Amino acid sequence: MEGSMTSPPQPADGALDLPTLEVEGELDLAVAPWLRDQLDALYVGGADSIVVDLSAATFLDSTALGVLVSALNRSRERGGVVHLVVQEPQILRVLAITGLEDEFALHKDRVELQRRKDEL
Amino acid sequence: MSAMAHGDLIEGVVRTSEREVIEISIPGSVDLVVLARFTAATIGARAGFDLDEIDDLRLAVDELSVSFGPLDAETRLRYTFLREGDTVDVRCTREPSDQEGDGGAGHSERDLIDWQQARELSAQLLDELVTTHGREIANGRSVAWLTKERGTGAG
Repeated sequence: MEGSMTSPPQPADGALDLPTLEVEGELDLAVAPWLRDQLDALYVGGADSIVVDLSAATFLDSTALGVLVSALNRSRERGGVVHLVVQEPQILRVLAITGLEDEFALHKDRVELQRRKDEL
Repeated sequence: MSAMAHGDLIEGVVRTSEREVIEISIPGSVDLVVLARFTAATIGARAGFDLDEIDDLRLAVDELSVSFGPLDAETRLRYTFLREGDTVDVRCTREPSDQEGDGGAGHSERDLIDWQQARELSAQLLDELVTTHGREIANGRSVAWLTKERGTGAG
């Protein structure tokens, strides 16, 4: 696997008060099942909105994106949103090509996420 | 892995003859598809692609693998990379061919739903990333293929 280890999901982020998953490396068909399990874990407590921090992710293919879309659908069913923290151009390009850049709440870093959250 | 080559140094990129073929064959393990991406990056560089085009080719080759659905231990994926000048053709053949074209034996319903969703996203990506792509049956086997020319695609 090409550098696709991740940190364990954090049930609640102290600063954001949202379940958060930090992911790093290449998110491909080898990682997608793991990603799905980790996202499932975030929803166990009944969360509606979650944060997926892709700051350290370098690659996203359709299988991993599909897992994120499933999370997006789950959050929407609960009236929530999925926040993605992402700067990597390749990942932003994948989101743009598939027309999903406006479906997720995108943030370039956690500071921006916190600021937008405070504005709501 | 095999390559037919003899080299020149052109603008900082080692380019070999105008035509070269690289073939790799991997077991149907998702962990090993990364090898196809590495190969794609290398041959993209040899075709003179810029970094964005190389990234696009890496992703596109990954998506060829996705197009077959879930992989299993009975499957092999054989990739043939052909570079002619600044054009790269990639053919990915699933061996043996899956009769239903879905793969999926032994996978959960949720797995298959996820794969179907991935395949729809994959088609969108391939449309944008490469010059042309498609799927066919050749010699009784499922083949997914693409062509990417330097300076084309959204890059």
